Amino acid sequence: MNAQTARRLNLAGLFITLFTVVAATLWAFPLYWGVVSSLKPEDEVVRPYIELWPDTLTFSHYIFALTETEIGRWYLNSIVTALSVTVLTVSSSLLCGYAISQLKFPFRNLLWWLILASFMVPMQTLIVNHFELVANLGLINTWAGIVLPQLIHPVIIIVYKQFFDGVPKDFREAAVMDNASEWRILTRVYIPMNWGVTTALCIVCFIWSWNSFLWPFLAVTRTDMMTITVGITQVNDAFGVYYARELSAAVLAGLPVALAYLIFQRRVTEAITLSAGIKG
Amino acid sequence: MLRNRRSETMFALALVAPFVAIYGLVFIYPTIKLFMISLTDAPLIGEGSYVGLANYTRLASDRRFETALWNTGYFVLLTVIPGTFVAYAIALGVNRLSGRMQAAVLALFFLPYILPVSVVYLIWDWTLNFQFGIAMYVFDLLDIQRIPVFKSTLWFMPAVGLITIWWTAGFSILLFLAGLRSIPGEIYEAAALDNAGRWATFSRITWPLMWPVTALVLTIQLISQLKIFDQVYLFSTGGRPNDNLVLVYYIFLRAFQSDQGGRAAAAAVVLFFIVIIVSVLNFQLTRLSGGRSR
Amino acid sequence: MMANWYRLTKALVLATGLMTSAAHAEETVVWWDFLAGGDGVRMKQLISDFNAAHQGEIKIDATTLEWGTPFYSKVQTSAAVGEAPDVMTYHASRIPLAVRQGILQEITSQDWNTMGLGKDDYAAATWDAVTVDGKQYAVPLDTHPIVLYYNKDLLAKAGVLGDDGKPKGMDSREGFEATLQALKDSGVKFPLGSVTADGNFMFRTIYSLMGQQDGELMTGDEFLAGDNAEKLQNALSVLQDWTKNGLQSTYTDYPATVALFTSGEAAMMINGVWEVPTMTDLQKEGKLFEWGAVELPVIFDHPSTYADSHTFAIPANKGEEMTAEKRAAVLEVISWISKNSLLWATAGHIPAYAPVTASADYKAMEPNATYSSLTSNMIFDPKTPLAGIAGPIFDVMSTYFVPTLNGEMEPAEAVEEIKLGLEDL
Repeated sequence: MNAQTARRLNLAGLFITLFTVVAATLWAFPLYWGVVSSLKPEDEVVRPYIELWPDTLTFSHYIFALTETEIGRWYLNSIVTALSVTVLTVSSSLLCGYAISQLKFPFRNLLWWLILASFMVPMQTLIVNHFELVANLGLINTWAGIVLPQLIHPVIIIVYKQFFDGVPKDFREAAVMDNASEWRILTRVYIPMNWGVTTALCIVCFIWSWNSFLWPFLAVTRTDMMTITVGITQVNDAFGVYYARELSAAVLAGLPVALAYLIFQRRVTEAITLSAGIKG
Repeated sequence: MLRNRRSETMFALALVAPFVAIYGLVFIYPTIKLFMISLTDAPLIGEGSYVGLANYTRLASDRRFETALWNTGYFVLLTVIPGTFVAYAIALGVNRLSGRMQAAVLALFFLPYILPVSVVYLIWDWTLNFQFGIAMYVFDLLDIQRIPVFKSTLWFMPAVGLITIWWTAGFSILLFLAGLRSIPGEIYEAAALDNAGRWATFSRITWPLMWPVTALVLTIQLISQLKIFDQVYLFSTGGRPNDNLVLVYYIFLRAFQSDQGGRAAAAAVVLFFIVIIVSVLNFQLTRLSGGRSR
Repeated sequence: MMANWYRLTKALVLATGLMTSAAHAEETVVWWDFLAGGDGVRMKQLISDFNAAHQGEIKIDATTLEWGTPFYSKVQTSAAVGEAPDVMTYHASRIPLAVRQGILQEITSQDWNTMGLGKDDYAAATWDAVTVDGKQYAVPLDTHPIVLYYNKDLLAKAGVLGDDGKPKGMDSREGFEATLQALKDSGVKFPLGSVTADGNFMFRTIYSLMGQQDGELMTGDEFLAGDNAEKLQNALSVLQDWTKNGLQSTYTDYPATVALFTSGEAAMMINGVWEVPTMTDLQKEGKLFEWGAVELPVIFDHPSTYADSHTFAIPANKGEEMTAEKRAAVLEVISWISKNSLLWATAGHIPAYAPVTASADYKAMEPNATYSSLTSNMIFDPKTPLAGIAGPIFDVMSTYFVPTLNGEMEPAEAVEEIKLGLEDL
């Protein structure tokens, strides 16, 4: 390679890098714009020109959202339901994935195939029946009703099974030799060795549940039981010009997951790649 | 030993029991119920009487259902391949960076993905607001006619499609990055020694080696976009001339607005099979085209 | 196994429910409304007044949901699963549909006695609107037509403000269009602010324009029979022409329309009387120009304005029996608010309770007095289960309004689609 082409390549490379950075900034700009608009007074928000930073910085919309609306209650609903979904889904999937991978029991293969098959079934097609089921159980407008149909994430079992499949058989044999009980083997040997995977799966599961819209939207008819994702689009407590107020509610709804991502960035990345079946 | 095996079986059954119980209650049972009520004229809640295949034959002549099929197809067309392409390009760009710079740029691209759909809706509804949206001021500056993005039939679906790409690209980007990172560096070094240009390196090395990941991303995108509802529903506030009607929306309207559980179920069964057929076809195709390592 | 699970969960849910409700001696009335316009502020005021007057006895727990289809879908599914509120606002136009769906409880003659209200307290048409097969299913609160709001300052500047303080050219299409044109020529950005991005809203304007030609939606059981389709097409054409000639705001949603008018970018606005409080409040704060509200202009043959009524209804919760105490509390809520609806009149509405409209206070109220002439020209939805806010006719028609009003679709094509559309439901 002669020097001239090398320089040309470098120049092109520099250009691509620059382009990527500019694109990333533009990509995230709507998020910035949403936040900035929510910090402006309402009359400033509708000014007919671009103002990248508020003239008058105000938190009044946030104060309004937190004190005058049910947003606190929605936070609670979101936290409780998303945590329940996470704990129940991950723990039941872990146990099931472990059993399928490490233990022998009747209908094991049938179960595994059913799980693989359900991976393809769109949950959205079941809304009518989920609604009927949850209504018959008397669980409309309850946390349990929001949680129940969200408990199926076959992909988590698949990830766990693949993970346990990859553990050398010696571990188990050694433990059996030590006369350790099955429960001990699971809790002392297998679970500790995949804390990383478990944390990652918990984080994505939480984010999925926090963000789910269609089912919580259907399962709740009372505003005090809405999750924050649903509540901010369904309840209209503002009059007249209300753009900034709505945006402040949006920022409040997105904040927890955004923070969770920024703090656990590496784990989230890992979990996403895991959930798609690629070993990262 | 025999005792041991029995206890292993019991233990295994105990471990799978919670999942199987949930699975039976919220998956198997509703799925069976879905097929059953699709043969009745049941309302949303309550029993109906058996009507045979009437709900299905009505679908065949239902103009709204036909519209829903077309719109869903249109949305898939707008999002799947363009979305995959955009994510691929971004991943290639991000992969060139390193260290904190890479982490920061990746975070900017990824952030939308973790936000709830309603937040995405509110932010874009505001950004593209016909009267006060910043995008319209930019249009004014560039002397372009303002576009009432979510109110015009021409722009509604493309706009929702673009926003969906913006929202979900982060996921695909991560998959592509993981794929790019798993290509051994030596291959590129060898190519560099051969004096291969940028394009040659991409088309002869990166693209073929990345094909399994590309196929995976396409598949995941395709299946998830067939089930589109949330964004379309939210952006439709104020009523649309059916250019927003996608399959899940159709099911939702039949069940929750017209109180026709049976007819909703019939439409759901159709979607059910579309997704399964597409998944299976896709799986076979990617296997045929080779390169799938698993 | 499944059946046991059902029973166990049900018992648990019931038990927790009982424990929480036993703790209160005060009767809580769960209230839903959709009043998110300027009138919502007044209703909030009425509710807190009520709560203050009934401290320790009855407390209204109120929620405002998204107007229209989202509200009525929620009500429908909630009633089906026994989760509907104790009392809710309901459009009179939708009562025939609701009765067919079985989601409203009858207001019995005993209930009327308890409330101290009765047939004589209402206009005949109002009473009739809540009556299906001789039974009443709701208590009327108001009648709310749409009106034309105008900015006196801008109109005066354009020379189209009459000596009586009303806009000129209100008696013919030509006259009104000349007024709009004059406003445009004087440099106003949008002579008319129109909710052109919301088909649901435009139903009111378009139906009014049909009424001005004596058009009707239902003739017996037939939808858009005879030349009614043509009358609909005429109405759509007028509005589309305004768009084509740049006389009205295009693709404008509800809040943006109000914002355009209050910020002076639109000189006039067709909107419901419920935005009156937005204007009065803004003016009180010194943030608004001189404004007025009048009956819609006569575009066709004679004056006609679409109106609907807000009523109070008690949902029929499936599988839930309302206790006598609760019902008494609900009736007290309805009765009290009806009798105190003078405040509601400041929200622009025409109260349904006759003693209020007969009072001197009400008669002197502005701008209500200015547009009160329209009460004799009001038309309502046809009385059929197909009609009403978010009902089938409303749904199908409003679907095609946005593309037509903004010039994407020809009026004739829209009418054709609308006729076909109703069959699809």
